[in-house]
Amino acid sequence: MLYIYLAILAMVLGLTLWVLFSTKKPSLQVTAAMVMVPLLLRLLLIK
Amino acid sequence: MKKHTITAILCAAVALIAAAIAGTSFLEARKQTPIVKGPGVSEIKMLSDWFPGLKGSPGDTEVYILRGAKPGASMLVLGGTHPNEPSGHLAAVMLIERAQLPSGTLYVIPRANASGFTHNDAQEGAPQKFTIQTPAGPRVFRYGSRATNPIHQWPDPNVYIHASSGQTLSGSETRNLNRGYPGRPDGTLTERICYGIVQLIKQENITITVDLHEASPEYPVINAIVAHPKAMSLASDTVLGLEMQDIAIRLEPSPVNLRGLTHRELGDFTDTLPVLMETANASQGRLRGRTDEALVLTGKDKWYVRAARLGRLYVPYDEKGHPLDERVGRHLAGIQELAFSWTLSHEDQPLEFEGLPSYDDLMTDGLGAWLNPPSAPQS
Amino acid sequence: MSPEFLLFILMVGVFAAGCFLLKWPVAASMLVAATAGALAGGLQDPIRHLVEGTFGYVDTILTIATAMMFMMGFRDSGALEALTAVVVKRFHKVPSLLMILLTLVIMVPGMITGSSTASVLTAGAVVAPMFFVMGMSKVDAGALISLAAILGMIAPPVNIPVMIIGGGIDMPYVGFEIPLLLLTIPLAIVFALWFGWRKVRGVDQAKVVESLDFSTLQQYGAIKLFAPIVVVLVLMVLEKAFPRVLSLGMPLIFLLGTALTWIAGKRFDILQSARKAMEDALPVLGILVGVGMLIQVMTATGVRGFIVVNALSVPQELLLVMIAISIPLFGAISAFGAASVLGVPFMLALLGRDQIITAASLSLIAALGDFMPPTALAAIFAAKVVGIEKYGTILKKLLVPALLIIAVALTFILFSRQIRALY
Repeated sequence: MLYIYLAILAMVLGLTLWVLFSTKKPSLQVTAAMVMVPLLLRLLLIK
Repeated sequence: MKKHTITAILCAAVALIAAAIAGTSFLEARKQTPIVKGPGVSEIKMLSDWFPGLKGSPGDTEVYILRGAKPGASMLVLGGTHPNEPSGHLAAVMLIERAQLPSGTLYVIPRANASGFTHNDAQEGAPQKFTIQTPAGPRVFRYGSRATNPIHQWPDPNVYIHASSGQTLSGSETRNLNRGYPGRPDGTLTERICYGIVQLIKQENITITVDLHEASPEYPVINAIVAHPKAMSLASDTVLGLEMQDIAIRLEPSPVNLRGLTHRELGDFTDTLPVLMETANASQGRLRGRTDEALVLTGKDKWYVRAARLGRLYVPYDEKGHPLDERVGRHLAGIQELAFSWTLSHEDQPLEFEGLPSYDDLMTDGLGAWLNPPSAPQS
Repeated sequence: MSPEFLLFILMVGVFAAGCFLLKWPVAASMLVAATAGALAGGLQDPIRHLVEGTFGYVDTILTIATAMMFMMGFRDSGALEALTAVVVKRFHKVPSLLMILLTLVIMVPGMITGSSTASVLTAGAVVAPMFFVMGMSKVDAGALISLAAILGMIAPPVNIPVMIIGGGIDMPYVGFEIPLLLLTIPLAIVFALWFGWRKVRGVDQAKVVESLDFSTLQQYGAIKLFAPIVVVLVLMVLEKAFPRVLSLGMPLIFLLGTALTWIAGKRFDILQSARKAMEDALPVLGILVGVGMLIQVMTATGVRGFIVVNALSVPQELLLVMIAISIPLFGAISAFGAASVLGVPFMLALLGRDQIITAASLSLIAALGDFMPPTALAAIFAAKVVGIEKYGTILKKLLVPALLIIAVALTFILFSRQIRALY
């Protein structure tokens, strides 16, 4: 189950990055960057 | 490059830097600090020696064995079932570094939930470590989380179902070692650690098992000893003995309907006599103020003083706080008194301790005076 | 004045200035407020604390993100519109019953998962168009959906705030079904009639039926078209019924449902649909991340203790008033957070009453936190589902119902022993 959830997490992180680089709204970019941090650290199994 | 691409790169860069700084700190917290083996330790094994299913997993943990000069009864001490309750861990460390046994055998697991020592609970603002000064220099200890690290056991189910009783608890309790007993060989990491501890108790015929905890000062079961029905007589003798040393402690029966805890399941599923002891730890409470190393070490907290005046607490609380020296002292006094009470009524199976500081010694000298120097050969 | 109070004012001030004066996004204002608190509070490792706080919501982030994808897919496949047509046609002759049924339907995902967001984004999204075609305004529909969602989150079998409160005082989650049903179902019926039936009884429902579009339904057939929502609900129920056999978790269930929407109805670009879902979800996910940072900094600097001890400082007779005010207010940060941080101490202060009824009632008050801005998860998502830009209009409609909910919960606490004697 861990790996399935890491895959789901990777997908959500991927979509977050896609929004970060495709949106023209700076406010959404800041928000996306904030959400990125915990997703990335969990994906790397650091925290 | 378009403007929004530049801002996106900037945002991502800041996020990566923050992740790198925090990530380094999280990785640093995984390194365990050394316990300095004392003269009484005859052997160090791993929990996986009793349950190979734990080998190589983050749940495997050291078991220190102190064999007495003469045979006798045996005791298992669990420190660090909840790594955010430091007096349990420190009392176990003190046993490893100081205790010597004229008779009987002592097993000590200082990090019962080793995985819990590798991280901190989100939103609890806890320190990652605390430092105790010894005459030979500082000794550093980990302040961990109540639960198994989610990177070792993830995701949590919505609702945690205790395997043998079907009792339901909030999903995050699935990583609480003291809700998982008697454990399962094919269960979650937490359940496997429980199972490993149960195997040790069964294979070594452990006479008495002591699980060391702390509770927040607003919690009713505090400065207490909780005993399974079959350990009740031993526990009540112990309470009397502690009262004679002016250590006030409550005796609580293990609730029948609360499942998965050591004082319930180890009594039901093995032949050991299980008791659990609680001291007062402000640094895990909901009413605490600033949360830092000082709070862990001294227990001094103005909000708890105020809550005590409002009659909201179950322990006396004043400006002196409840220092770690006192809390470890209570645990060590309880352990020695348990052994003493047992030996009084079982002279053919004695269990005796030497070399440990008394409650008064720790209150006068502090923990640092009794811990081994950091430079001693490390285990 | 204590330093904790000053820190609290600083964080609230920075947040308000960011949000309202500088018009920063809510999440960014929280980040700046938490950073200011961490620095002014002298935390040694501020970045570690800020990042660590966010981890309280990693699982919630996955649930919300995948639930949004599912909702978007269900809509893009044409199933949402078709389902509305079928249900309204079948029940349009008895609008009062229909309204109560639909309200209970919205509650179901929350009852099973313990999350109001799941209710709003799945059943709420499905039911919203039915409300519209029957003649309800967007605001009324949004209000009813968010109310049903928080009642669903409190109704049994799964109630996470009660589990959190119970975990804090070692009370197992046993025997809560009846009190939770007593607390939630009558309120649900009242709200269904108040917001729903009262507004639609004058509308000529026969004409409404004529205006419905059945083309997608005829093209794909009900079984295929509605399979995704059926599968999601069945998996949720199975997981609850046989937790030892099936433990998928909500994110995986929603993802499976999303995959099904892609093959069940009209073809759509699933990647763009998912991206749109994420874009819609991100402001809320950002708020959760910001909230996590704020809680962590408030806890580490002692502001949390300051709030809790002051809430407990009132005389016993005013305790209930304090509960009614402080728990929903703290819910501005998080309903689950309020249950843990305040629910547990209040529960301990109320020992001596019937514990099960008292904890159940406290959980109902804690659920109101999902209405409290800036997080206001239930209201924000309800606004998204009904298509309103600013959720403030919905919040205004929720004021009286929220007071009613508090009144019911406090009555239950006051008469806990008598209520317990009833069953």
